[in-house]
Formats: sequence, structure tokens, C-alpha cells
Amino acid sequence: MSSAASRFPLPLFAIDHVPPLVVTPAGSMLRKLTPYLFVAPLIAFIAMFTYIPIVSSLNLSFREWNFLSPEMPFVGIENYRLLLGSRDFWNSLRVTTIFTLISVPLRLGLALAIASYLVRETLPSRFLRGALFLPSVTSTVSIAVVFSWVFSTDYGLANAVLGHLGFGKVPWLQDPQLSLWVMIFVNTWKQLGYDIVIYIAGLQAVPQELYDATAVDGGRRFHVFRRVTLPLVMPTTYFLLVISVIEAFQVFTIVEVMTHGGPAGATDMLVNMLYRVGFVLFDIGTGSALAVLLFIFLIVLSFVKSRVIGRRVHYEA
Amino acid sequence: MMTLRLPTTIAASLLALFATVGSAQAETTVKFWHSFKADGEALEKIIANFEAANPDIDIQAELIGNYNDIVTKLQAAIPARRAPDAVIMEVTRYGLFADSGVLTDLTPYFEADPLKDDLYGYAREVGVYKGKNYIVPFNSSTPVLYYNKGILARAGITEEPSLKTFDDVLSVSKTITDKLGGEGITGIAAPGQFARWGLVMSNDSELIDSKSNDILLDSPNTIEAYRWMASLVHEQKVASADGVTDEDIGRDAFLAGKVGIMINSTGNFSGARKAIGDNLVVRPMPCNKVCSVPIGGAGIGILSSSPKEVQDAAYKFVSFAASAESNAIWFAGTGYLPINRRATEQTIAAEALATQPGIDVAIKQLDFAHGRARPPVVTWMRSTEYDMWQAMALGQRGVEETMKDFAERTRQEATRAGN
Repeated sequence: MSSAASRFPLPLFAIDHVPPLVVTPAGSMLRKLTPYLFVAPLIAFIAMFTYIPIVSSLNLSFREWNFLSPEMPFVGIENYRLLLGSRDFWNSLRVTTIFTLISVPLRLGLALAIASYLVRETLPSRFLRGALFLPSVTSTVSIAVVFSWVFSTDYGLANAVLGHLGFGKVPWLQDPQLSLWVMIFVNTWKQLGYDIVIYIAGLQAVPQELYDATAVDGGRRFHVFRRVTLPLVMPTTYFLLVISVIEAFQVFTIVEVMTHGGPAGATDMLVNMLYRVGFVLFDIGTGSALAVLLFIFLIVLSFVKSRVIGRRVHYEA
Repeated sequence: MMTLRLPTTIAASLLALFATVGSAQAETTVKFWHSFKADGEALEKIIANFEAANPDIDIQAELIGNYNDIVTKLQAAIPARRAPDAVIMEVTRYGLFADSGVLTDLTPYFEADPLKDDLYGYAREVGVYKGKNYIVPFNSSTPVLYYNKGILARAGITEEPSLKTFDDVLSVSKTITDKLGGEGITGIAAPGQFARWGLVMSNDSELIDSKSNDILLDSPNTIEAYRWMASLVHEQKVASADGVTDEDIGRDAFLAGKVGIMINSTGNFSGARKAIGDNLVVRPMPCNKVCSVPIGGAGIGILSSSPKEVQDAAYKFVSFAASAESNAIWFAGTGYLPINRRATEQTIAAEALATQPGIDVAIKQLDFAHGRARPPVVTWMRSTEYDMWQAMALGQRGVEETMKDFAERTRQEATRAGN
């Protein structure tokens, strides 16, 4: 045995013993189709529960239907005309926009501030993360029912506490301005934990050496936060912004349980109106038109956000 | 011996199995949606009695939620072909389902049923829409005035107060609030929608004319009634605003002994009696200008999508539920009105009348009880009325302006919907 042969022993199976791979036309087709077959169930699922309902809603928005009648006459843009001429629609759009403009920055600002304090891996911070996340996994209906009791004017906990402190009763759910703030508060309380957890993950991804470098340069805490932390959690902020704006425009359960959109329409969100028009008043055509408008609105809003804010997002340190 | 016993056992088991399957197949199942949570016990008893008398029919009763929930879920269930065979429907909101052909025309069944001669006139009337019978009444009610005599006594009202006019009611409510407001007790619960409708009728008006379907929301007497009701919350402050935004709160506060007077359906009688016991006093609705009360509640309709044999079985149940015996159980257990003339002759009902003071008040009101209009626009009007009422009661909009606007919008909606 040569020295070379001793250095490179024969493999267990010699390469030339492997039978040549014969690719038949059917086998080639199967190989091409394999990835599509893997994703087909998911595509079918999404199509059934997302794309088909969207197309179906679009179709229904041009028809008159009450869920019960066998006929669905085509009425053109009549449902859209009715909706855009209705003061309830404009009121709901105004209320939902105000809700979004206040609740989204409030949620993100609070979440980032709290996440900055809870990012360190200590026992209290782990406990607080869990405690703050708890409302996110609690039933929204339960939360809304409990807060209905808390904010009841004559029988609620909030006014009982204020009473003991010497203050008068506050009509939390009867005052049109206050009731919207109560909705914002409850929604923030419910969603904050989720935002905090996402922000903590984002903050933990910021390289420590950047903080070390700014410390060497003598950067102050606020300066470090503004110049290092904030830009580097922009991808997280952008993600949460997109998600929370969509959520805010689709808020429903809290409002439906606590106020039914009242008092006198002061908390009547778009989805609450959609539910009322479609499922209480049986006007499926107009309800679908509202769903389509909301869909288009959210798409446009997401596009604008991606153009205005998305460009400022950097995914690498 | 053993070898012989085993095949015999297997054969006997198979025979028993096939017999069971055969029996299950012969049974007709009627899926029944209802809204009776607190009154479930009385309903269960009626169903048990029916099934004992009709062993070939199985009633699968399902609590769906309140009247609104039933309407909403029914809409979704019909296109999904998961609708029940029989369903409880509120008396002003079944018109749309009748118009759409969802409900079976029960006229042929009803005409052939001796039950029709036993029903009170008002009870027969609530089931008729456009000349045909679509529901058979089950739980009928009128609003009545409840008060807590313990609270009134603590407020210094020891004699039975006069509560016939709006002024009478306001005066007692003021006294309670003035004397006991510091303890968190208010004079009267903000009236719910059924009570509001009743108070409008006692002011000699209507929301929609029950004969002509004319919209009467802006008639002077309707406006006057709403002005008085709104003043209870906004100006006089004798009713909690909590009950304006959530109508159940007013009832719950009364049951908790935090409210002196409540105007509500007679269907609350049993619950109120359980909650406040002998302190409960029931009086007729105020007769401010006239004595007139609305008839509320619901009846049972049968869906046209069900097979004929199931419809037949469902009607058997509907008829049984309205019989004198069943109606007596229902009346005694809940406080809802008797719909069958012979119900009060039954022992259980007679006992209830003798031992539950106040249960007969709604019956005495039947002389001036009236059915309400039920064109399809009623659904829209009732849904929108909540917002209008809140705006008025919370002082956000003037009563006259709001009611005129509301009337105009309701007329437009009626025109648009073609009714």
C-alpha cells in the first residue's frame, strides 16, 4: 500500500458503486410540484378564510341582501352612496380615527418606556413582564365586563375610590368625551403587555458594544436612548405601529360590551357600526360596503406608513 | 353450555342494539332555540311534560342569548343551513322573517287547533302578521311598576303612594333620592326601552301606529313623554345615568335594593320577588293621560326549512307549550302573563295567585293592553332609539329636536326599506 493510499483509506462505499440516478419525466414533474404541494394546504386555508371572503364581501357590497331572501339584486354603488351620505358613518370614522391617533402613540410610548426598564434579566423584571402580559391573554369580554363595573358612575369602584378621596362622581361612561378615553384606557391596558414583550425582544437585540462605545464617548442616558436605542428598535416600532393601527381600526369587543357605541354614538367605532348595520339591521350589502371601505382604508394607510416611516427603518446596526 | 350461551348473548345484544337504533330513528328531534336563562327551570318542566306525553318527539332546547342574540344568530344559521326547527321570536321583530319566508305560515295548524279558542284575544293577535299566523305566543308580558316598600318606608313613605301619573312617580322618586341619596339609593331606575314604549302609550301616543304603521315619534304626546323620561336622569337626577347606557344596570340595582321604583316587564316578577322578597310591591303602569300598555314578550315560530314531519312535531310542542297546563306552570314560575284563558284555573296558577301578591297586576292590565306595530322598519327604529334616548337622557341634545330628527330618519328608512 502506498503512503498516499494509507493516508486516504477507501470509503466504505466506493462512489462508482452508486447506481446512476435516472430521472424520468414523471419524476421531474413531481420534483417541480413538491414545494407547491407542501404549501397547498396553507394556500387553500388562507384562500378559504381570507381571499374568498374578501371577494365575496366585494360582491355583496354591490348587492341588496338581508341574509334571508333568496335573491340578491345588483344595486351598483347604491350601498356606498348610502354609507357615504350617512352621518353615522362619518361619526364612526371620526371616532375611530381619534381613538387610533391617541391610543397607538400612547401604547407604543408606554411600552417602549416600560420595556427599557424591564429589559434586564432580573427576577422582578421577569415577574413584571408576566404580570403585564397577563391582560393580553385574558378574554377581552371578561376585561370589558369587569371595567364596566369599575367605571359604573353610581355603583363603580373608580368613583367609590374618588368619593373616599373627597371627589365627586365622574360620569365615566355617560360623558361622550370621557367614555372615549375610558375605551382608550381599557384597550391600552389590554394590549400593553404584548407591545412590551415585543419591545423587550427588540431591545435585547441591540448590540451591547454600541452602548459601551457611547459610554466611552460620555453619552448621557437620554442621548444614548435617542441616538442608539430608538433607531435600533425602529424595525420593532414599525412592526408594532402597523399592527396596532390595524388593531385600533378594528377595535370592537371592548366597545360592544362596555358602551354599545354609546353614549349617543360617542364611542361608535367603524367595526361596531359594521356589526350593527350587518347583523342587527340585516343590511348585509351596506355592511359589506363598509367592510370594503375599511379594508381599502387600511391598505392605503399601510402603504403610506411604508413610504413615510418604512424608509427610515434600518434592519442592521 | 358456555359455547351456547355466548352466541345467544351476542344475538340478544345485536337485537337490543338494532331495536335501540330503530327507536332512535323513529324519534323526531325538534331543535328549539330560546332565550330563557332565569326562567329555564319552568321551561325544562314544560319540555319534560311534553316529552313524557310524546315519547316519539325529542325537544333539544338550546339557550342562545337574549332576543337580539337570537335574531343575529338566526341570520347566520339560515344560510349555513344550521337553523333550528323552532325559535323564540320577540313580538315586534318577526315581521322580517315572516316576509322573507323563513317562518312557516302556521295558519293551517292554528285554525285546526282547539287551542285557538282558549287563547286570550291579545295573545292571538301578537302572532298575526299580514293576516297570517307566524308565531304562537309563549311568554307574553306588559310593563308594570315595581317598588321596594322597604326603601319607601325608610324615605318616610309609609302609606301606599299614588303612582298613577308622571307627577306622582316623580314626586315619590324625588323623596327617595332626597332622603336616601347619601346611601347611594336612587328614586327610580332609568326606564328601559319596553318601559319607555309603555310610558309613551300611557301619555296617549305611540312610536308607530299599530294599525296604519304611521311614524308617531314626533307627535306632541310622544315628545312630552320622552321629555319627562329624560328629565328623570338629566334634570331631576332621580335616576342613575348608568341605567341609560346599560339598561340592565337599572334592573340589577333595583334587585340589589339600590333603587326605589322600577318600571319593567312583568317577566321580571319572579326574579324581583326572589331578590327583595316581601318588600316587593307591584302596581299597574301609570295612566298619565290614558291607561294603555304595550304587549311584549315573544312567541314560538317554526322554520320553513325544516322537513314537514319535524314541522308537525314542532307545532305539537308549540301548541303544548301554550296549553292551559303548560301556561300555568310558566305563569307561576316566571310571572309572565297567562296567554291561555284556562291557565289560571289550574292548581299551580291558582296557588301562585293566592300566595304571590302582585303576580296578578299584569293580568288586570290586559283590559287596556295593546299589540304594537311590527313592520320591518321597527327593527331599525328600535336599534336607533337607544342612541336617541341616550342623547336626550344625558342632556346632549334637546328632546324635541332629537325626536323630530329621529322621526324623519325613521320615515326615510321605512321608505327605503319599502314598508
